[in-house]
Amino acid sequence: MPTLQARTNEIIDLRRYRIIRNTVVVWMTLVLLGAFLLDIPRIAILEHTARNLYFHVPMWFTMMAAFGVSAYHSVRYLGSDDPLRDIRAMQAARVGAMFGLLGLATGIVWARFTWYTGTNIWWNFDPKQTMAAVQLLIYAAYFLLRSALDEPRKRARIAAVYNLFAFVTVPFLLYILPRQMASLHPGADGSPAFSDITHPIMRLVFYPAVIGFIALFWVFYTQRVRIAAAKARITGDGEL
Amino acid sequence: MTITPLYSESAPVAQQDAVATIDVPTKEPLGIERTMLAQDKIYVVLAVVLIIWFGIVALLYRTDRRIAALEADLEAARLSAD
Repeated sequence: MPTLQARTNEIIDLRRYRIIRNTVVVWMTLVLLGAFLLDIPRIAILEHTARNLYFHVPMWFTMMAAFGVSAYHSVRYLGSDDPLRDIRAMQAARVGAMFGLLGLATGIVWARFTWYTGTNIWWNFDPKQTMAAVQLLIYAAYFLLRSALDEPRKRARIAAVYNLFAFVTVPFLLYILPRQMASLHPGADGSPAFSDITHPIMRLVFYPAVIGFIALFWVFYTQRVRIAAAKARITGDGEL
Repeated sequence: MTITPLYSESAPVAQQDAVATIDVPTKEPLGIERTMLAQDKIYVVLAVVLIIWFGIVALLYRTDRRIAALEADLEAARLSAD
């Protein structure tokens, strides 16, 4: 049975980490400047909140990318029994779920002052929002499952299998099901997510924002893997 | 700038609150205000967001330094145990 005794520089390329981290800091600063300074057409109801496109939507893209990284390492764990794969799967899911929570919270605020203006409603079980909440609950179950199992090897195996099930639900809950139902969310009911009211100039900030937030995820994720690996060297168990 | 009394005989009570000033600025904004008050004051929001962002960045770098120090301690403990 492989154990985790490797030193940090054997599992993480710290030079590459620092380059990416410093690039992310500069990159995201430019994204923030672009997000506020780029002039966009004023659309009724949306007004300046259209700029939320640069922040709210990348939260979900980042969550999906993070869950993809997590699922990849779960597959690799099942083929190798390498505890580092288990640590990576767990920490990618953790940071990914955090981005998902931020996506849900920002969506609630945005919906309150656009979809639900004048109604005093914060949450109305819109299919897109409901499915996103269910998605987060499925990953909450992954963390609860892990915390319920004490034996590291058994926990890693069962969690890896469950994590693959959880990942398979992502396209259904975030794309297929909400598009079958009437929803106020763009992309619902067959309508394109990027519609003709989304001015093309917004892509100039949107795509860099998606890349920047995914890279920011990677920075947080790498930090947590380092901490978990250090803990594994002391206690023999890298669960944080 | 004058502080308005809470209740004034000259103006209806409904138009006032505790922090209202009589001199509502009507002059052309000067200096930094010319920039910051433009575009529905969105530059003020940008300034706030940038302050928060650089705070988060500082935390990120500090955490990296803490992790590196922890790893160095761990390595020193391993070497002294051998």
